Amino acid sequence: MKMRKPSSSEFPIAVLKNAKFWNGKSFELRDEVRLTSGQEGKAVEYDCKGALVIPALFGFGLDFMEPLRDDVYTCADGVDAMLRGGFYGGLYESAANPIDDADKLTAAENRFSSFGCLGGSFDIKFLGAYSKGFGTDSLAEMMELAESDVVAGFGDGNGVIPHSRFLRLAMEYGKMTGKRFFFQPMDKTLRHSGCVHEGAYSDMLGMKGIPRIAETIAAYTVLETARFLQVPVHFKQVTCGETLELVRDARKKGMDVTCDVGLYHLLLDDSCLETLDSAYHILPPIRSAADRDALWQGIVDGTVDAISMNHTPVLRQDTVVNFEDSVPGALSLEVALPAIWNKLVAKVGEARAIELLSTAPARLAGSTPVANNVVVFAPDKPHVVVESDFAGHVCNSPLLGKELPSSILAIYINGFWKEM
Amino acid sequence: MSSLEIKHLFGLRGVSKHDIRLILDHAKQFREILERPVKKVPSLRGMTVVNLFFENSTRTRTSFELAEKRLSADTVNFASSNSSVKKGETLVDTLRNIEAMKIDIVVVRHKGTGVPKFLADNSNAIIVNAGDGAHEHPTQALLDMLTIEEKLGTLEGKNVTIIGDIRHSRVARSNLWGMSTMGAHVTLCGPSTLVPRNTDLMNHVTWEPDVKKAVANADAIIALRLQKERMDDALLPSMREYRNTFGITEELLENAKDKVIIMHPGPINRGVELDSDIADGEHSVILDQVTNGVAVRMAVLFLLAGGRNNENA
Repeated sequence: MKMRKPSSSEFPIAVLKNAKFWNGKSFELRDEVRLTSGQEGKAVEYDCKGALVIPALFGFGLDFMEPLRDDVYTCADGVDAMLRGGFYGGLYESAANPIDDADKLTAAENRFSSFGCLGGSFDIKFLGAYSKGFGTDSLAEMMELAESDVVAGFGDGNGVIPHSRFLRLAMEYGKMTGKRFFFQPMDKTLRHSGCVHEGAYSDMLGMKGIPRIAETIAAYTVLETARFLQVPVHFKQVTCGETLELVRDARKKGMDVTCDVGLYHLLLDDSCLETLDSAYHILPPIRSAADRDALWQGIVDGTVDAISMNHTPVLRQDTVVNFEDSVPGALSLEVALPAIWNKLVAKVGEARAIELLSTAPARLAGSTPVANNVVVFAPDKPHVVVESDFAGHVCNSPLLGKELPSSILAIYINGFWKEM
Repeated sequence: MSSLEIKHLFGLRGVSKHDIRLILDHAKQFREILERPVKKVPSLRGMTVVNLFFENSTRTRTSFELAEKRLSADTVNFASSNSSVKKGETLVDTLRNIEAMKIDIVVVRHKGTGVPKFLADNSNAIIVNAGDGAHEHPTQALLDMLTIEEKLGTLEGKNVTIIGDIRHSRVARSNLWGMSTMGAHVTLCGPSTLVPRNTDLMNHVTWEPDVKKAVANADAIIALRLQKERMDDALLPSMREYRNTFGITEELLENAKDKVIIMHPGPINRGVELDSDIADGEHSVILDQVTNGVAVRMAVLFLLAGGRNNENA
């Protein structure tokens, strides 16, 4: 059982001392930095003791399960997770509740703002659905949805791509909105009943695999349709180098194509399947070490625009089962920065790391970062992940029990201060 | 050392030669006991074994049950078709409820890879895998190994060819791990849609697409059962074509050694993976496998239970 639930406090002003502050190009040591939320009031003082002060993050791939099991996980829990992880905003894309008309968009916005505390202070953008009910019979009311500036683009959850005719019609109609289309490229028939990467480990363990071509064929179909219709597209949670190669080729042809890769796809490879631990049941699947290396290459050479959180709470009873019967998904917001920062900085430097975690996903979602939203971060202070690190009544993460190389010390977002 | 290094039997991958040798040697002793007029020993008296079968099984469950009874254990059969699993009970709840009845050993069969390990992680019982998905079926492989040793004297240096639906076969996986550990050369052969697509982690065995070449040097041939649903899933065109291409026939055996033995985990699709003439013929050791199944399962249960009352075995 979780014993601790860090609470936050409202402090319109934060005074950070002895901090290495990000100035847009590098970290510079300052004796004191004064951050304000634009309101007058009491101030909190904090001695950073030389820790980094990083711009707060923007999370792609948020799904808080609401309102399916609001006894287990709510939007308030999701926002709590964002706060714990240093996220000032995110792109919400429910896999179960399609936002396919203006009423559903309003309902979704209300779920975030109705808690009276943090929800309304965070910059939440939404993916509108391009179909009604994530189906392939009717189009969603995209024009009406696009009138709201909280709609970043259109995508049907994390479902497989629809059949080619509906894909064409959806993009043809949605083109009028000028918004980007977001796809997790996955071909339904090639995915079949697979639950893990089709490779050496799945074959060794006799588990049903999802081949890379399930992704690349879907990506190619989307790209060819987008090229034909001249529609901007984004690929969510790319898992293999072959898809990144398609993105590179498309860009060379002048297409407006962006993509992200998942946090865990950069941290893990399919050797984790040997444990048969359902914590590693993540979709799209964690692929081979060679695929992971190819994703890192995409990070280095600029093909990858952002790192996705793919934050998915799963009920405890759906994870405490054998791998193949478990519900896929992992929490990531609370642990992302400590898990990935050092690796990112070693590969691409601090500026690009901040771009991948904050400015680039924010730009793609139409969010404008606020300079005073920051994370106080100790890159060399290890932290063992425990259940109470996670918000809500869930803790489904492959990092649970693992030691992360870094720690978040404190957060200051829109006047909310939280020390960890 | 006369006890097993393993605490449970999840599979044969990673199980040491010492442990496999110990199981096979004990199985040989139990095999002798099974030939006596009184076939029962008191080795597991006072212990309770639950046969937890979430998939249909006749011969494996019967074989385990017989092994348990021969060892004087109290046995309980638990089939998912008439259990609370049908009412939505989770796997771990099912196990904990059964465990609360003070059982000692759980023999489990389930469609999901890794279920035996999952149960071991969540209970104090000794877990024996009776088949988990397409992952492993270790006691089947052990009885296959016992049969080969019985008929050919040793596994060391012998050529064993497994033919059929390798991709979906837990029997094939357990055999390729176990037999390789014991020094046999394993060759796998099957239609390209029914063999694993990526064999990087199974490269200690030989993959031979030509069935005639696959049987040419074999000392033992194991034909795997072909599931009829493979035809519905477009993995094969027809039973007829499979029989003509990969079935064990008199004609195919003209390419094999004179003394080759033919094995099958059962139940046989006669006229598909194995012609009747072969299944009932001089090369067939299929019924010996069945008898050895009881002996091997007795050995596994006995050794995992700690070899208690060893002197009675």
